[in-house]
This record gives sequence, structure tokens and C-alpha cells, in this order.
Amino acid sequence: MRRSPRNSSLRAGAIITGFFVAAALLARFWTPYDPRALSIIEKLQPPSAHHWFGTDQLGRDVLSLVMVGAQTSVGVALLSVVIGVFVGVPVGLLAAARRGALDELLMRGNDVIFAFPALLLAILITAVLGPGAVNAIIAIGIFNIPVFARVTRAGALQLWTRDYALAARVAGKGPLRISWEHMLPNLLGLLAVQGTIQFSLGVIAEAGLSYVGLSAQPPTPSWGRMLNEAQTLTALAPFLALFPGCAVLLFVLGLNLLGEGLRRNAERPT
Amino acid sequence: MNSSSPVAPGRLVLAAMLLVAGILPLNVTAARAGQRVIIGTQLEPPILDPTANPAAAISEMLYDNVYEGLVQFAADGSALPKLALAWDVSEDGLTYVFHLKPGVRFHDGTAFDAAVAKFSLDRITAPGSINPQRSRFRAVRAVEAPDPLTLRVLLKQRSGGLLQSLAFGSAVMVSPHSAAGNALQPIGTGPFRFLRWRRGDSITLERNPDFQGVPAMLEQVTFKFITDPTAAFAALMAGDVDAFANYPAPESFAQFAADPRFAVFDGTTEMETVLGLNERSGPLRNVLVRRAISHALDRRAIIDGAMFGYGTPIGSHFPPANPAYVDLTGMYPHDVSKAKQLLAAAGYPDGFALSLKLPPPSYARRSGEIVAAQLAQIGIRVRIENLEWAQWLDQVYTRHDFDMSIVGHAEPLDYDIYARDDYYFGYSDPDFNALIAALDDTVEPNKRTELLQQIQRKLATDAVNGFLFQYPRLDIWNAHLHGIEFNNMLGVVDVSRAHFEGPALAEHSDEFGVRASRTRSLRIAGLGVLAGSLVLSGLVARRFGSAYIVQRVAVLLATLLLATAVVFAMVQIVPGDPVRYMLGLQADAGTVAALRQQLGLDEAPLHRYFSWIQGLLHADFGLSYTYRVPVDALVAERLQVSIPLALYALLLSAAIAFPLGLLAASARGRAGDAIVGAITQLGLAVPNFWLGMLLVLLFAIQLHWVSAGGFPGWEAGFWPAMKALTLPAIALAAPQAAILARVLRGALIDTLHEDYIRTARAKGAGARRLLWRHALPNALVPVLTILGMQFSFLLAGGVIIENVFFLPGLGRLVFQAIVQRDLIVVQSVVVILVLAVVTVSFLVDLAYALVDPRLHAAGGA
Repeated sequence: MRRSPRNSSLRAGAIITGFFVAAALLARFWTPYDPRALSIIEKLQPPSAHHWFGTDQLGRDVLSLVMVGAQTSVGVALLSVVIGVFVGVPVGLLAAARRGALDELLMRGNDVIFAFPALLLAILITAVLGPGAVNAIIAIGIFNIPVFARVTRAGALQLWTRDYALAARVAGKGPLRISWEHMLPNLLGLLAVQGTIQFSLGVIAEAGLSYVGLSAQPPTPSWGRMLNEAQTLTALAPFLALFPGCAVLLFVLGLNLLGEGLRRNAERPT
Repeated sequence: MNSSSPVAPGRLVLAAMLLVAGILPLNVTAARAGQRVIIGTQLEPPILDPTANPAAAISEMLYDNVYEGLVQFAADGSALPKLALAWDVSEDGLTYVFHLKPGVRFHDGTAFDAAVAKFSLDRITAPGSINPQRSRFRAVRAVEAPDPLTLRVLLKQRSGGLLQSLAFGSAVMVSPHSAAGNALQPIGTGPFRFLRWRRGDSITLERNPDFQGVPAMLEQVTFKFITDPTAAFAALMAGDVDAFANYPAPESFAQFAADPRFAVFDGTTEMETVLGLNERSGPLRNVLVRRAISHALDRRAIIDGAMFGYGTPIGSHFPPANPAYVDLTGMYPHDVSKAKQLLAAAGYPDGFALSLKLPPPSYARRSGEIVAAQLAQIGIRVRIENLEWAQWLDQVYTRHDFDMSIVGHAEPLDYDIYARDDYYFGYSDPDFNALIAALDDTVEPNKRTELLQQIQRKLATDAVNGFLFQYPRLDIWNAHLHGIEFNNMLGVVDVSRAHFEGPALAEHSDEFGVRASRTRSLRIAGLGVLAGSLVLSGLVARRFGSAYIVQRVAVLLATLLLATAVVFAMVQIVPGDPVRYMLGLQADAGTVAALRQQLGLDEAPLHRYFSWIQGLLHADFGLSYTYRVPVDALVAERLQVSIPLALYALLLSAAIAFPLGLLAASARGRAGDAIVGAITQLGLAVPNFWLGMLLVLLFAIQLHWVSAGGFPGWEAGFWPAMKALTLPAIALAAPQAAILARVLRGALIDTLHEDYIRTARAKGAGARRLLWRHALPNALVPVLTILGMQFSFLLAGGVIIENVFFLPGLGRLVFQAIVQRDLIVVQSVVVILVLAVVTVSFLVDLAYALVDPRLHAAGGA
């Protein structure tokens, strides 16, 4: 009945995502120019053979800055997903295994976090803790917790109705052990899909926070702050706003495609 | 039952309309209530007494406006009458007789006469005086007041620059009754009197009704401190300020010059920007090293890089606009190898390390990065340290604990600082001091010019400092603001003749601009939502019984209560004390304690939480710490931007999403579907603030269709306001439209598979009729949920977009409040937004129940 798609999303998504992750890793060892070297004579140069993405107001190479900015972006988004997984998944498993009042409490707590305007709370958190990459990770990570808790709980609840869960229970295993041994491995696909989606949301959120100056601080380059600095220069050097923005767009697009591809893969009957 | 008509969305729209009707000001004719102007400025003065502190910011705001001197500077540096109407100089140049203006009174009512003038001048030279220009008056032997309108100044020796010295801010006339308190409560004779100083934010002056001359035209003038260049740009664009004195972002100056909404002034100042070198010890004592540094500096690169080409290179400490100027920029051409040779000759072939301590202004910070890079080329390793002004004054200016610094010397005719041994750069040279003494003794203009040129050459030869550039005077103001005077030797912003002309302008987001009607409109809006909810609840209750409603309301209230607790707890741990922030560092413990008590901050946290909650129940959100006005008044004003923006974006989002979703669903699996799929993927991936920037680039900067940001206010009319909201609404709507289109497509496809559709198809209904008449109404259920969620998202998510477009909405309010530690505003706004989110989701739940009764049967999950 259902046509099996070639799953080009998965391939395209994996290629784009891989490209950005590779660029971020490469930037740890090598960039075309020193991203911190100033050269005023060469400031605000449009893209050329020497500077593919041009130079900024202090003559720094924009390509090098974008590459190092990818590190910030990948780092913040990835670690905030890690926070969400490490807290959210156990909460979801516990809620599904125990049900009852605990489940109700955890899920209502989740609802409250969902009811918060996410961005505003992230801003509040970074205001409380002070701006910086680590605090941006925490602010974004907190919102990943209820997402993973919900997904895990929903998936685990379904798995509890399966025969092998019953079999394990009959074999005398406790609910926590069943969760760990049987639920978690079967939820990995689901979590991978959700993780990719949250990763892409994290990239956008990091860009937004650093745009308003609440994520990584100078001199650490970040895409959002590059966009902020480009703003008073748009009339002089529009390309400064172009490349970091395109980087965010492409990276998020790649992650979204990857997530969709993974979902299709998981849905495909095996 | 399945094809029930979407009655609930209609009610939602009704509620939304009530909301808008309540928020929008009903009196569009609101004229400008009195004339008020807000002027942005970079620096906050440390105190408000120019006779006790050299900070240029004091004179910038208060000279000629609050304080007046006996004479004032003309544009060419000569002296013009002010409180002295005329003067006579004796043949030998040793006696000056001033004829004073009659009938002048200080703001506190005391009269100004010759005795007061004598007091003011005696104070400068008295033992223990801390007057920054004291040394200019060392020739004064005695001051006499033979009658109330005659002042006689007797000199020990001739003083060529005495009249100019009297034009300085530090020689203003002060009253014996109030002089001691001028640091905090300035009292002068000018057309404006001091009203209040909000530390870290602004200084406000009001018109002096008893002014003896032509009264000022403005009722109030506020100087708002904005240091950050991007923030300065934003403030002008958003209309937060009417003018900016000494605009700190030269990179965007050309953009304002081309914008008909603004008038600009591009001139020069008396401010020499120098790389100050501490020659008290170390390698900088050696003139060869200092010359090497001068050769290493590339002034053109510094001016281009730090000032975007604005500014004039200088080769000594003297303004190019002065008739006695000599161009000495060729004495040390930029030459790296020459510089290295000099360093080697001085015994430092491998260079050395120096500290570079930078004060906050962007010219210093930006020049600093470039200077550091240039000095690195000759082997001098520079450690940059960024300091706040208080730290800079302490470490560099007072304790001389630095190697290099970059600072602008704003005072006119200030070459004599090089004759002060205790000045921060520590230059001490008997030949130079002799030149200054000779100048003091010379009155004849040609001889003075010659001496001034020798002074310039001497400073350049000794390479005392790295002379960088003469600071440009960049001012920007609203084109409707006339008569504001910027070009003055002292950098004074003279507002005595300033006034608005032309159409009524937007009211300011100043506390006085918040009118009671706005708070009322917030209440009306609240009542509108409440009424809408009641109607909807009634309908739902009639169909499903009241238990369902009670359950939903209980969940709503529990969520809200939990939210208030979480927000309150979070805000409590924000570092930084609002009271300290408001009172500044100098405040004594007693004042701090008094204000804490006044704001109720001395209560236990739990007590404060409950009194806050109690207030919330009465729609009382508390008093802003910074502005001392009710938070709901602040919020109501900002909602006038944020709610219409969110609704506009929601409408746009639906207008884009419906055609796309319908197209994709009807062309499922074909090219149309694939194209829509690609478009929505892009829409999901694009960061909305970046889209906003691209829209500005295209429509504002390239095509000039709209302005690059800002909001004219609803007073300017409905269409101009909507026009200003259009680009932000598009930027906000695009990602939401992508989500909505995908949901709609999915819902339509799901519905098309249901049995009743198959039945309809079997009965011969056409594809078009199937889609519109049968599938769409049912697919609206999930779409409605998404729309509801999106409204609250748009309301809060506008925070960043408001920053891109410089809109005075909730987002900017929250950002300012966070910076100013105005915590009560932060916590109240967050709670209001949470309230909006849960209310909307409550309403959506009810509407959902009405549209799809199966939900209730399933237990209302």
C-alpha cells in the first residue's frame, strides 16, 4: 500500500549535517586565516579569491569566523540535547514504569515548562547566570528536558503493552530494570529522531541568544553575534549578514532533513 | 456531526478583535503634551559639578543649560558675553573689569551679583580647591566686587588666555548657598533647572520658569546614557531618543545622513584622541622608544578601522580647526622598519610587553585593538585591558598604574596639560614649561600664534604621546527638532532654543508619556478576553456540563500559580542589587537601606512573593524599581506594539499557509506537493531574525520602500503604523506559516482517508467540493490548536524581532529591565506572557471541545 520512499531526505540531511560538523572539527586545527588576526587595510572586503566570504569591519576573514562559529553552534546545541536526554529520558522512563501520582506530577511539571515562553525563559536564565556559552547550553537544555521526557514516556507506555514486557515482568524483573534493559534499546530510534529535531532547534536558539548578546562572549566567534555586528553595517557590507545567516539556514535545513529521514526509516516496516 | 461548522474560530476572532479594540488608543488625535525631548549621549557624568570634576559629560549636559559662566566660547575660540555683558581691560593687561547682567537669579532663588561672582572665582584658586582648571587662574592676584554689578579681577602677571579660561565649565557661576551640593543637586542660572538623575539611565532637566532671558521652548530635556554603538543606532531608529549627541557608531552615520527622517551634523571637535604613554618608568621614558611607537602607528588605518573614515589625523596635541594649527603628521610617517631600528637603537631589539588600558567608549576600544596589532609588528607585545570609567579614573588618571591608554582630550586649548607634572602621562620638560609661561605672558595675537606653533612642534619632537586623530563631531537628530545647537568648543548640547516643528510625533516611552488611558485599555482588553472566555465556557458548559469547565480552569490556575513561583524564585537569584544599581557606587549604607525599605526589598522573600501575588490578583503588578511607575502602565504601552504585531503575523501566517497546505494536499505526491514541501523546509530552517535583516536590506536599504526600523506610534495614524509592522510581521510569520502549512497538509490528507469522505466521493462529489466542503472544516481542528499555540509564541517570540526592527514592544522592555536589574518588571512581564499562553491554550481547548465532541467522551485528555 505505502510506497517505500528512496529516503533522499536522509541522504541529503546526513551530507549537509556531516559537512557542518566536519567544518567545526576542522576549525579546531585549521582555518584559512587566523580568525582573530586584524587587518584594517583589508576591512569590509567583498568576497574574493583570497577571502571567499570577504572580511569584516576589523579585516578578519569571515570564512574563518564562520568555521569557528560552527564550533560554538554545534557545541551549544549538542550539549543542550545531551542535557535533555540525560534528564528527560530517565524521567520519562520512570513516569511510564511507575504511573500513578508520580507520573501525574512529572507530567504536570512538564506542562508548566511548556507553558513558558521558551525564548523569554532562556533570556531570563542567561540573565540570572550571566551571559556565556555554558549558560546558553543550560538555558536551551532545560527546554529539551520535557520534550525528551514526553517522547520517552509515550514510547515506553506503548512498549509496556508488548508481550516481551509482560514476559520480563513474569520473569521477576523489576520495572526499572525492564525500563533499562528492554525499553531503552527499543526507544533509541525514536530518541535519535527527536534528538535531531532538538539539535536543529538548539542551533536556531543559540543563534538567537548570541544575536542578543547572551551566548558566547567575544572574542569567541558565534554566528548570532556576527549577525548582530553586521546589522549597523548592512548598508556598507551586506555580505556580512549573508554568510553567517546562510550557515544557520543550511545547518538547520540539513538537520531537519536528517530528522525526517530518520523518522521515515523508523516508520518503514522492517 | 462530522462536518460541524467551525463556529469556535469565529468566537476566537471576536475575542481577538475585542483585544485589539481595547489596546489601540481611542484618541488618535493625541497631540504632543508639551514639548519634551530625549537626547542620547555616550557618557554618564560621575558627578554634576563641573568645578569639582573634569569629566566632559558634565559640561556637555549642564553648561549653558543649567550653569552659566561670565563669558562663553565663540566658534573660533574667542570669548562672548554671557553673565558679564561687557568688560574692559587695562592698558598693562593686569586689570579686567566685568559689567554684570542685572536681575539674574539662581534656581534656588538667590540673586546673582558681583559678590557671588567673586565667591565663584575665589573658590577656584582657594587653597584646597579641587577645580580641574585651577592652574589657568594662577595669574590672578585678587578679585574685587566694588558694586553689585561690577567685578574687578586683578592679575599678578599678564594672562593672555584669561577670558577663555573664564568660558570653561569649571569657571561657571555658583551660589554660596548651594555650591557645596552641586555634585548631586546642580543649581545655576541657566534656562533649565535640574529635575532628576537616574543613575545608569538618564538626567532630566526642566524649563526654568523664572529665567531672566528668553525662556526655553522645551518643557523637559532628558539626557539618556547609551554607550554601546549598536544600542545607539537602535535607540535612534526606534525613536527612543530624538537626538544623539556625539553619535558613537560612525559606521552607520551615512545611513542616517541619507534618511529624510533625520538631520545630521558632521563637524569637528576640540578632542584630540591620543595613545597616552606613561613616561614615568620603563622603556617609555626613552624618547627613541616613543618615536618608534609613533612610526609604528598607521593613523589612516586607525581612522578607517575605528572611525570608518571620520576624524582627522593629527601629529601633535592641537586641533586642525584652530588658525594656529601646524600639520605635523609627516614628522613620523608610518614606517615599520624605521620603528624597529629606533627600538634597537634604544636597546630593545626584541621588543617588550606593555599594558594598554582602555576606557569604555567604542573609539577607544576599537582603536585599541588596531593599535595593539600595529605595535605587534615592531615587537611590542600589548596586553589589552578593558576598564569601566570608574576603574579608568582610578588606575590610569589618578594612580598612574598603566603603560598605555587611549583617551580623547575633550577640552579646548588644553595643551597646557603637558606642563602639569602630575598629569597621567607624566611628561615633564622645563623647555616646554617655559613655552607655556611665555604664552601666558603674551597678549599680542601674532606672537601667540608663533608660540602655539612652537608648542605643537615641541610635543611632536618629544613624541610625548601617540597622537592619533582629532575626534569628529557626529550628531544626529529628528528632522522635526529645530534649534538644537551642537557645535561648540566645549561639546555642549545647547537646548535653550530647541523645539519641535511639524506634525505631531510619537509620544515617548518616558514615564510621563504613559497615560492613564493606556492602563485602562489594558484593563478593557483583559475584560474583553474574560468576556470571550465566559461566553465560550458557557457554550461548552451547556453542551458538556460544568465539571469539564471546572477541571480545565483548575489546571489553568495550578499552572499559573506554579509559574509565578518559578519566575519569582529565579528572579531572586539574579546577581546584582537593584538598589545599588539605582544609587551608584558612592551611595552610603543609610541611603541604600532607606531605598530598600521604600521598595519593600527588606522584607523576607516569602512575604514579598505573597504580596506580589496578592497584587496580581488585583491586577496590580507592582511599581517599577527604575521608573517608579506601575508595571502595568509600562506593559500596556508596549502591548500596543506587541499584540498588533503578533496578530498581524498570525494573519499573515494563515494567509500563506492555507493556500500552500491546500495545494500540497490536493496535489499530493505530485510536483506541487514537492515544491510546497521544499518551501516549507526552507521556512522551518530560516532564523526569523535573519530573515528580518534580509528584508530590511532589500526593502529599506535597497528599495527605500519602508524605513529600516522604528515605530511611529498609532498616533501617527493606522497605515503608517501598520507599514512599520509589516516587515517584522513577515519575518515572524514565515517559520510559523511553514509549520502551519505542513500541519494543514497532514490533516487534510488524513481526513481525506476517512469513511465519510469516501462515502461522499462514492455519492459523486467532485474533488474540489470534497476538499473545501468536507475535508477542510475537519482539518481545521488541529490547525486551530497550532494557531492558538502560535499566537502566544508570536507574542513572546517577538522579543528578538523587536530588536532587529527596533520596535518599542515587550521584548525591548524586558531587555532594558534585565540590564537595569528592574526585576519586578521582568517577573511581571514573564507572568503576563505565561498568562497569555495558558489562556490561549484554554480557549483553544474549549473551542476544540465545541468542534469535536468526541474529545469529551474520551475524558478531555
